[in-house]
Amino acid sequence: MIKLGQQIENKFLEAVNNKSGNNVLDCYQCGKCVGTCPVSDFMDYPPREIMQMIKLGLKDETYMANSMWFCLTCAACSGRCPREINIPYVMESIRHLAIEENEYSDSGKVKQIMKFHEIFIDMVKRYGRNYELRMMAEFNIRTRNLFKDMHLAPKALLKGKIPLGVKKVKSTKAIQRMFKMAEKLEKTQ
Amino acid sequence: MTKLTYFPGCSAHGTSEEFDSTLKLVMKSFDVQMEEIPDWNCCGATSAHVMTENLAMALPMRNLVLAERLKNKTMGIACASCYSRMKTTKAEIDANPELAQKINSTIVEEGEYHGDVDVKSMLQFFYEDIGLETIQSKVTYPLKGLKVACYYGCLLTRPAAITRFDSPEYPMSMDRIMAALGATPTEFDFKTECCGASFSISDTEIVLSLSGNILEMAQESGAHAIVVACPLCQSNLDMRQPDIDKLAGKKYNTPVLYLTQLMALAFGSPVKDLKPSKHIISIEPALAHIGEEIEIPQKKAKPKKAVAAESEVN
Repeated sequence: MIKLGQQIENKFLEAVNNKSGNNVLDCYQCGKCVGTCPVSDFMDYPPREIMQMIKLGLKDETYMANSMWFCLTCAACSGRCPREINIPYVMESIRHLAIEENEYSDSGKVKQIMKFHEIFIDMVKRYGRNYELRMMAEFNIRTRNLFKDMHLAPKALLKGKIPLGVKKVKSTKAIQRMFKMAEKLEKTQ
Repeated sequence: MTKLTYFPGCSAHGTSEEFDSTLKLVMKSFDVQMEEIPDWNCCGATSAHVMTENLAMALPMRNLVLAERLKNKTMGIACASCYSRMKTTKAEIDANPELAQKINSTIVEEGEYHGDVDVKSMLQFFYEDIGLETIQSKVTYPLKGLKVACYYGCLLTRPAAITRFDSPEYPMSMDRIMAALGATPTEFDFKTECCGASFSISDTEIVLSLSGNILEMAQESGAHAIVVACPLCQSNLDMRQPDIDKLAGKKYNTPVLYLTQLMALAFGSPVKDLKPSKHIISIEPALAHIGEEIEIPQKKAKPKKAVAAESEVN
């Protein structure tokens, strides 16, 4: 039985608080974040519920949620949070923790979102900048959806809206070195 | 002549070329010399900070280090997302020297970070450094008759603690710039709603829904066009508009212009300099409203009950 005043160990809460620099326990469940969030309809648990899940130490359930992958970091919620919790940072922390512990949802949507980010980062690693057309093409190939957005292609390409090439950085070697060192830092944390 | 360090961002060479070219025209009118950061790299955008911690800060920090070499006081950033990444990284490393050192250790060839360059969005630079009076003084072709919905998106004013610029809920800086050009900004409630940003590619359905709401509200406000200062907002609202039309079962026909395109036009540039061919939704029909008389709508009298309730509160 839990006695009043007894400290309950909640390592997950501690990890999230440490990483995000916020105290999730501050949340008093008013739900203002849910009303504000433009994508809460697309999430399986809206931000308020995610906060409560962290408070209760429901680590696996939180990692398996799709909510943090849909968060746009638009910062509308944190601007209105009466407890001044930086909710996008909390979402970011659980994303990073889930990646570190290699435990996240394998739903098609989450996979697709992660694939997009991986391809984007790969473009920056290769060229130092984003190669828009190539990124879109690789996304279609790697998600096996070759014809996605193809109806936009004739107009967008003809009008020069999306250029065929990329002006890459001169010092791609310096960029790749930075990638390597940052990856090393990521692992030693 | 004022000098400004310029960070264009990847889309300036791609989807937002017309932002970059009109920005240069406008700066010329203000006698501001823009110095592009030599060999700048991508800020990492949403993807880097979604997936990584250190790389997400290393990428913007390399640009901050390179910017310091140019010895100008301020760096102006065209893209709202680049601006947010750069400003957020700067705030974090300036507040935490240990973190700054750690991230700086990944940037070997470019040197050390000192933190002496101020980071501003172009909107902020126009509003704070150029000023409405100077902007107004450059107008040779007033945009009278053109009604515009000023759309700021998420990152130009949020998070307020990082941007320290304008209001995060109902900003007015762009509206005032448009008014200085002679245009009429509409009362537009979706100024700072999100367009769906990078889900443009990875989950298009979200963008069609969120950007659709923005187009609907802009149309309801009576605007002929939407004005933006962010390349991703522009491409979501413009390039995706035909698909949004299909979902809504009507044609919005609302062109989406960069604020610099309208500034260049008002300062005397011909329409062809705005690169109208880059737009999926044609801009000419909206520009045809310039010169029209605008009827000022009579404000509806407040219902008596509401007035009574208000005075009770006061």
